Amino acid sequence: MRRLHPFTLLALAAALPLLAWILPAPRGALAPALAAATLAAAAGPRRVLLPALLTAAPLWFFLFILHGVGGMLVFGVRLTAMIASFVWLVAVLPPARLVEAMVAAGWGAPSAYLFAATLSAVPLLQQRARRIVEAQRCRGLSPRGSPLARLRALRALALPLVLSALHEVDERALALETRGLGAGHRRTPLAPPPDSALQQAARLALLLACGLALAWRLR
Amino acid sequence: MSIRLLALIPVAVAINLALSAAVDATGLPLFLDTVGTILASALAGPVVGIGTGALTSLTNSLRNPTFLPFVAVQVIVALYAWGAARAGLFRNLRAAVPTGLGLGVIASATSTPISYHMFGCSTTGGIALATALGKSLGFSPLGACFFGSFVSDFGDKAVSFALVATVLHALPRRTAARFPLALRAIGLRGIG
Repeated sequence: MRRLHPFTLLALAAALPLLAWILPAPRGALAPALAAATLAAAAGPRRVLLPALLTAAPLWFFLFILHGVGGMLVFGVRLTAMIASFVWLVAVLPPARLVEAMVAAGWGAPSAYLFAATLSAVPLLQQRARRIVEAQRCRGLSPRGSPLARLRALRALALPLVLSALHEVDERALALETRGLGAGHRRTPLAPPPDSALQQAARLALLLACGLALAWRLR
Repeated sequence: MSIRLLALIPVAVAINLALSAAVDATGLPLFLDTVGTILASALAGPVVGIGTGALTSLTNSLRNPTFLPFVAVQVIVALYAWGAARAGLFRNLRAAVPTGLGLGVIASATSTPISYHMFGCSTTGGIALATALGKSLGFSPLGACFFGSFVSDFGDKAVSFALVATVLHALPRRTAARFPLALRAIGLRGIG
């Protein structure tokens, strides 16, 4: 599966939840949900399928509380198809490979940058947020007490994080300008993922399947 | 789009997703997952705001795919924050907090149909519990769903707007002036 072109993996991860939502639930949605769970199991029962099931489990519980068994099955099967597909996609598709595929397909370098930079910026800022929380606690900040005291503590925790992040924008912009990331510059991907006519046909078939299922439901 | 505004988008997305650590430390029932979107719109306008919102939903959905359909809420937040910035409504907390409360109502009205039709109102634990409370209070299923979204969004958006107003005022003027809307948002340039 990892050898498939990123767009094929994306098409599969999009088509299964779409089919689960288009086809009548719970019976019609069961096949896409099972297909998604099988893909997740094939990618790693512990590493992929288990996290997907653990993400879906609380939703099944709340659905049962809110809608009873019938509603739980209707929404639960669809949600499980969606969650299993996405967790599988994240496990089998490294972001760098997707960026390479986007650049090879003619997407502008800024789009590829946005995607890659976001994925790298999020864990960095999350780590900084935890450090700020610890540093402010060392200085005696107490994030407990009345709601007003907690809001004041929140301000003391959030403000340094947001301001430091904004100061980074200039550094990033300078680095991007230095690397020539402007409009109109076409990049050459270093290792474009191989694509084949068969995979292109499979992507088209998935799109057609979703379209036909929608037309059948709307008739 | 200038390189600076392009560089702002990933940073604003990271702000959306990193503030949960600060929220967790205080134990407040807030998400603050639109602070980056509001800030990006208030600094740089709707395109950067919508880009931030869309990318936030996409990145969040890699962790929990139920966030993806709520991209519409992020788009509404970005457009609303842009309008608020153009009107100078980040000039002080007395203007920012009611504006945030207004966004809370609009955001709940936007998220309710998505949550109801796609997820049966079971997106996150807090909202599902508030929905169950609404149901036990005698609301219709859709009414209970709106109640759940409203309870979670109303205060959250007010605090988000207040926080963005505080950040905009704390930014050095020279830094703020580098972004097209920042000074107007805090009422330092002509409104109109």
